[in-house]
Amino acid sequence: MTGTATQGAPVAPEPTEASTPVGRRAATALGRVARHAGVPVVLALAIGALVLAVTGNDPLEVYGRLLSEAFGTPSRINATLAATTPILFTAVAAAFAYRAGAFTVGVEGSFVLGGLTASVIGSQMADVPPVLSVLLPLLGATIAGGLVAVIPGILRAWWGVDEVVTTLMFNFIVTGLAGWSVQSFFLAKGQANSSTEYVTENAELPALAPPGQTSIGLVIGLVILIAYAVWMRYSTLGFEFRAVGSAPRFSAAQGLRVKTVLATALIGAGVIGGIGGGSHALGLVHRYSEGFSANFGFTGIAIALLARFNPIGILVGAILFGALNSAGATVQLFIDLPVQIIDVLQGTVMIFAVAVFTLPKLRRLRAARAEWKRP
Amino acid sequence: MIDLLLASAITLSVPLVLAALGGAIHRRSGTVNIGLEAHMILGALIGAVVSGATGNWAAGALAGLVAGALSGLLMNLVITRLKGNEIIVGLGYNIVMFGVIGYVLRAVFGVSGTLQVDGLQRMPKLVIPGVADVPILGALISGKDPLFWLCVVLVPVLAWLLRSTTWGVRLRATGASEPASASLGLRTLAIRDGAGIVAGALAALGGVALSLGTVGLFNENMTAGRGYVALAAFYFGRSKPLPTALACLLFGFFDALQIRLQTVGGFNADIISTLPYIAVVVVLAFTGIRQHYRGARALS
Repeated sequence: MTGTATQGAPVAPEPTEASTPVGRRAATALGRVARHAGVPVVLALAIGALVLAVTGNDPLEVYGRLLSEAFGTPSRINATLAATTPILFTAVAAAFAYRAGAFTVGVEGSFVLGGLTASVIGSQMADVPPVLSVLLPLLGATIAGGLVAVIPGILRAWWGVDEVVTTLMFNFIVTGLAGWSVQSFFLAKGQANSSTEYVTENAELPALAPPGQTSIGLVIGLVILIAYAVWMRYSTLGFEFRAVGSAPRFSAAQGLRVKTVLATALIGAGVIGGIGGGSHALGLVHRYSEGFSANFGFTGIAIALLARFNPIGILVGAILFGALNSAGATVQLFIDLPVQIIDVLQGTVMIFAVAVFTLPKLRRLRAARAEWKRP
Repeated sequence: MIDLLLASAITLSVPLVLAALGGAIHRRSGTVNIGLEAHMILGALIGAVVSGATGNWAAGALAGLVAGALSGLLMNLVITRLKGNEIIVGLGYNIVMFGVIGYVLRAVFGVSGTLQVDGLQRMPKLVIPGVADVPILGALISGKDPLFWLCVVLVPVLAWLLRSTTWGVRLRATGASEPASASLGLRTLAIRDGAGIVAGALAALGGVALSLGTVGLFNENMTAGRGYVALAAFYFGRSKPLPTALACLLFGFFDALQIRLQTVGGFNADIISTLPYIAVVVVLAFTGIRQHYRGARALS
């Protein structure tokens, strides 16, 4: 009753076929992702349209404008990719843990602490040689992100303490600690809102296509995404991840390293989230300030669930959500539209990503009931 | 000084107690309600708007209650009927609710963030003659709003309902084992929906306590994570009404202390705000480890 009952991941991953060629496997996986993700996305658009229509906006016009703001010109595509970068990391992080059945909601905390650590170290990099000046802050972010998840990870792996609540609580603990340490130690002088100093120029992740904002961080994210895909599929621990995720008790009986898997899953998700926060700090915002993460950790969860942990699906989902974020930020320049409509869309997708739609089955159930009632 | 601190601790814990009791009931039926924050902010908005429109705080509170009940039902239907994972649905529901309210504030009311409702009637402060001047006791029970007294009544009533009524026993049975309860013919989904309605309604009343209590206006950030503190409280109080309410009092006291120290200076508010969450991790770790070793012994 106190929450020690442990839960699995909120949706089941797709089965992995053994020996189909990579190309066709990717195609079928993509098809499946489209099928799973289609219903939530369409429902979210419908609910968004309802909200828009009730408040006197033309939904089609708004959606059209969002689309052109997201992908209309090369510079808008660049902005969309910049918005894709942070949630790509958090989505991979969530998927990584969920494959092992470890249900973390703490990526948000890792992202925040990683960002703070990278900003603080990055602001001290004035006299450090070039490449090192980027690697040191990122390393700090990696460690910080992992540290956030250590206590929930150990509690879950060794004593079966429900990781959902502990990781959720750690988000708030980290936010509080981050706010306190910025206020007490790292406050930049002469700033209206509480934030750290900007990172030095040599610690910034270079932009891929200046003046656009997309940075090398996107490449790091893609590398981690590919590493996730390869590792899940071809490494021993990756196999154990999938086994523990789908049948924990059976895996334990088979002698798989359940504790190692669960601890690695939770701490690994923290590490990836931490790198994400670090890349976001060094690549885009160049400092840590209050509201550093715009729910990126939770958006990542939604993407991972929509994609059913499939790597290609994660990439598509991250771009979709990134498009919403970047278009939402600029669309209000053209039409008088509160940016909160984007939250409505994203949250609805998140809710329906885990919903099971069983309307066809309902009909079968009625038929079966009618069968029983017949004498 | 201590009187002021106690009085503000009580005032600050009223919204927490209401939301946490709702969450506790929902938890006993087997669902962790992450959406308390959303129900609270909805209750705060509806309460403020209706109180302004009617000029009557009771009408505002009632409207907030009804809105919260509907909101609780809506969220719970996704969990029970569409088999959505309660944590994800709750997190998503919070995002949607804050999105909708932020959108409506700007698109319909034309304000960004704070809504000053004309003609809003705040809840009365019930000063008890005679007691008001007694030190400590006066600060504890005099000059409180009606929702404080509702809390005082709710704690024993809910404890009794859970322990001794058919509804309570069925609710707890559903929470303990849904398949077993279903096999005995209980309508477990309906029972869980009922608990979800109660959770939404009580959490929304907590929101009403915020908007019609001390300040008398609505702000889209006025819940400030209280739904999550309430979550922490019912975990801390193991979903039993009295311990949950006491946990809320403790957290309310932290909150009052933090505001107090802020004016005095010297200690950081952010650190104190993390205390409820740290407390929950410690309690979960402690009970989890204890249960783990008990279970291990029982098996061997």
